[in-house]
Amino acid sequence: MAIKTHDASSTRKPSPAAGGGTRPPRPKANPLSGLAHAALALWGVITIFPLIWTFLSSFKTNTEIFGNSWSLPAELRTESWGRAWETAQVGKYMLNTVIVVSAGTLLTMLFGSMAAYVLARYTFPGSKIVYVVFVSGLAFPVFLAMMPLFFVVEDLGLLNSHIGLVLVYVAYSMPFTVLFMTAFFRNLPTSVGEAAMIDGASHTRTFFQIMLPMAKPGVVSITIFNVLGQWNQYLLPLVLLAEDRDKWVITQGIADISVIAGYEADWPGLFAALSMAIIPMLIVYVVFQRQIQSGLTSGAVK
Amino acid sequence: MRRLREYGFITGFLAIPVILYVVFVISPYVQAFYLSLTDWGGVSAFPSFSGFSNYTRLFEDEVFWKAVRNHVLLLIALPLLVLSLALFFSFLLNLGGGSKGGKLRGVWGSKFYRVVFFFPQVLAVAIVGVLFQAVYRPDEGGIINGALIAIGLEPIGWLTEPSIAFWAIIGVMVWQAVGFYVVLFSAGMAAIPKDVFEAAALDGAGRFRLFFSITLPLLWDTLQVGWIYLSIAAFDGFALVQVLSVDRGGPDNSTAVLPLEIWKTAFSYSEFGYASAMGVALFFMTITFAVLALRVSRREKIEF
Amino acid sequence: MSHSAGTPRDIDRRQALRRIGLTAFMAGPGAGLLASCATGGGGTSTPTPAGSAAPISADNPFGVNASQQLEVVIFSGGYTDAYATEIHQPLYKKAFPQAAIKHVPTQRIGGQLRPRFVSGDVPDVVNNSGPESIDTSALQQAGHLADLTALYDAPSVHDPSKKVRDTLVTGVIEEGLIAGKPYILNYTLSHRGLWYNAKLFADKGYQVPTTWDAFLALCEQLKGAGITPFAYPGQVGPYYQTWNLLYTAAKIGGNQVIIDIDNLVDGAWQNPAMLQAVTAWADLQKKYGDKAYFGLNHTETQVRQLQDKVAFYPTGSWIENEMTKEIPAGKFEYAVMPIPSVTAADKMPAEAIFAGAGENFFVSEKGKNKAGGMEYLRQMLSLEGAKAFTEKTKNLTVVVGSSDGVDLPPGLKSAAKAQEVAGQNIITPARYEGWYRKLYDYSQTQTNAVMAGRITPAEFCENMQKKADETKKDSKITKQTRTA
Repeated sequence: MAIKTHDASSTRKPSPAAGGGTRPPRPKANPLSGLAHAALALWGVITIFPLIWTFLSSFKTNTEIFGNSWSLPAELRTESWGRAWETAQVGKYMLNTVIVVSAGTLLTMLFGSMAAYVLARYTFPGSKIVYVVFVSGLAFPVFLAMMPLFFVVEDLGLLNSHIGLVLVYVAYSMPFTVLFMTAFFRNLPTSVGEAAMIDGASHTRTFFQIMLPMAKPGVVSITIFNVLGQWNQYLLPLVLLAEDRDKWVITQGIADISVIAGYEADWPGLFAALSMAIIPMLIVYVVFQRQIQSGLTSGAVK
Repeated sequence: MRRLREYGFITGFLAIPVILYVVFVISPYVQAFYLSLTDWGGVSAFPSFSGFSNYTRLFEDEVFWKAVRNHVLLLIALPLLVLSLALFFSFLLNLGGGSKGGKLRGVWGSKFYRVVFFFPQVLAVAIVGVLFQAVYRPDEGGIINGALIAIGLEPIGWLTEPSIAFWAIIGVMVWQAVGFYVVLFSAGMAAIPKDVFEAAALDGAGRFRLFFSITLPLLWDTLQVGWIYLSIAAFDGFALVQVLSVDRGGPDNSTAVLPLEIWKTAFSYSEFGYASAMGVALFFMTITFAVLALRVSRREKIEF
Repeated sequence: MSHSAGTPRDIDRRQALRRIGLTAFMAGPGAGLLASCATGGGGTSTPTPAGSAAPISADNPFGVNASQQLEVVIFSGGYTDAYATEIHQPLYKKAFPQAAIKHVPTQRIGGQLRPRFVSGDVPDVVNNSGPESIDTSALQQAGHLADLTALYDAPSVHDPSKKVRDTLVTGVIEEGLIAGKPYILNYTLSHRGLWYNAKLFADKGYQVPTTWDAFLALCEQLKGAGITPFAYPGQVGPYYQTWNLLYTAAKIGGNQVIIDIDNLVDGAWQNPAMLQAVTAWADLQKKYGDKAYFGLNHTETQVRQLQDKVAFYPTGSWIENEMTKEIPAGKFEYAVMPIPSVTAADKMPAEAIFAGAGENFFVSEKGKNKAGGMEYLRQMLSLEGAKAFTEKTKNLTVVVGSSDGVDLPPGLKSAAKAQEVAGQNIITPARYEGWYRKLYDYSQTQTNAVMAGRITPAEFCENMQKKADETKKDSKITKQTRTA
């Protein structure tokens, strides 16, 4: 436990969560800091332990999984990973997901920012109504639209295609994106845009070359929200990609193998598939965490 | 002429988003509104009109109201728990290290914690559901109960006791969401000018005061964003309930949430008309809730 | 996959054992539920082919267009879908070599097919099963189900002198009636009761009880040995225990208890037999159960049983195939025991056991190849198709004689023996399960509540009656009735 020493800090009072009983501040070792560490470390363990457990369980046998959960696998069995790779097709589904989510987020941010910009910076008859209609989409559960949506997509001939799914993702990400991007654009100073317009730049050029770059912090953080949201989608692909297994996304694959694991009593295989889905995500996150965090830092604060 | 060019531009920018939105979102929803006035069973092409009978039926539906209560509880408890935990942790991470030479610092290892806390957020709900089946398993094979048994305690029926089950499921959502808001709030705190804190610290304000009189008000906007996003996440929570709860919403309907009830009504009982009516009711409840929430929160906005 | 199921070297020994099994049980109409009624009704009407040009003949009774595509949707669950691709579809192809078969395996029947039923682009044959199976009453009301009378009146593939209906176990067609007409084919035959490890019982000298007192005494003994005497999985729909309660009530008060419940007769759930049955099980659970199982699903509970942590488990004969890969060789042998008699005055004898059909198949009325769909089911019901199914999945089918000469595992043999002993005393299936799904789901919730002691058995009966009365009053729900 790392306890820091501090100088000239006798005025500090206990933080609310540290609870009562730690009133007298000690001159050297700081009990608050100790408690802070304890709380943080505890949450860290709570966060990470299920993930480690999943990973370890993929090497266990059914009997071990049903024995004491805190025991380690007797040996490193890797067969389950082979089975999971074949059944859950994690590689293929991951790739599909990356394609769909990249395209979906890109288009969402493009169209969402365009709409939000117009709604934030221009007044025209009906602008308020358009805004409200966009935003009220947040209040309706997606799956209720599922059956009618299926027929809309089918009529357009986009069923079982990634394009169809991407367009649907874009449409369903609009309410959230428009809500927050509008707020960002409203808060940007008006003078810069006006100056550009006076210099003869078109509305479109002003948007792409001046306003959008200025809103970059907001764009980055809303992008992250959208990536997470679309990555998590389960119902939409379930209905819209049902018949073409080759196009499935990872959530479908996981749900599929968990059903199969239930019927065939193959829990090690299930945990191997879960690990395969979890590990690359964690690696990507750890590699890009600096960007993600700084994106959020400059964005969502305003 | 200028006006005309402006309208051309507005139309050009709005066309694609609006078309996409109308085609894929509005039109299915409008159809769902229409279906709520029919007794559509989900497999025939021609639903027959049944007026408002689906809506009158709602009033007598016990499970529906139970689900409404749970949903409201979820809408309040989830953001409250997630946001306060996240605020607490991010406060510790950023300012919990005390001050050195008059500068406030985060605790040692705060970068590491920030990375780890965020982990659950990158996992899809489908994965989290399966994961927590193992965490909450009622016997020694469960992560929690295995530990309880090992130290000589009775195992707890996390998902089988009506008084615990719903909180156990909320716990999963909290587990997943906290890290994201820790990062978000850390960002917010980093953006608060340091001299604000230092001035206050010099005035003799303790960390407790610093938090409530400076940090919290300045993060208000961020909190609002978080609240709205978590309310949406509460909708998605039904996938967890579906995977984790016994009896799909049990025991004794203690974990019934509206989206799951709607799902069951539509897809298990083939009562799509009635399910649509539930959805429409949910829509108006959510809108009311959102309007109220925004009204209340807007009043106390602080600019800096 | 590489699990050990049984080596080829075992075959000789097993062939020797084979005879004991099911010949008596499946072959003659004298055995078990094969008896009772001989399915009356006239075979007068000639089957009408739907939308096909081919002429009707003895080999092609539905006039299947030989080159038309057939779409088959199979629920890929406990049986997987291999039986369809490796057995039934080749049989169809043998009859119509030019026909292409579109095979669609899925675990989400409803999610995948519902939109298709609305749009009219429907598959020809559907194996409607699993957690997302479609409510068949709704399908029937929307006119999506083909009347299978023509199928049952068509000549059988393996014995053209007989109609298909005469090659099936008695009572099976009745189980597939909706609004009085046969729309559903139940393909498998299963036995439900209390399953246990015969090896363990032999080793420890436990006696299979026939009375409730003996049952309780054995539970006491098992508990002393550190084995949970009884468990059912409460997590995903505790219907195994709901069945158990219903069948126990039927033993006490006769099959009429279940028939009345199905017919929504006033006070049917408050029949004293029902109350007695629920009380007996709730008491047993309280004394000998382990609440951990309320939170486990069926496979998890079954793995526990294979580890001899659970003695009695209420389920059907499919369990043996479901757990094949997990059965510890030499240590575990499935066997079934009828529910013991609760009172000395029970209407049905201790030997009475449940036997019934399951695994739904239907043909789409509006399918492009309805005749092909009928023919596909006819091929499934051929001796060849049924026998191969039994060999592959270790589950019995409704086709008489289809298990003859098939090497059956010990659990199925024990089921066959139980049925032989039971004779005419067969417990009837509860059909409200398919007819009134909301009531059925509610009965599961209530089962968990009463078994966990959150409500009393009397409250269970009261709550169920209230819900049944609501169902009865609801004019939107189409009512069904049964006479036997």
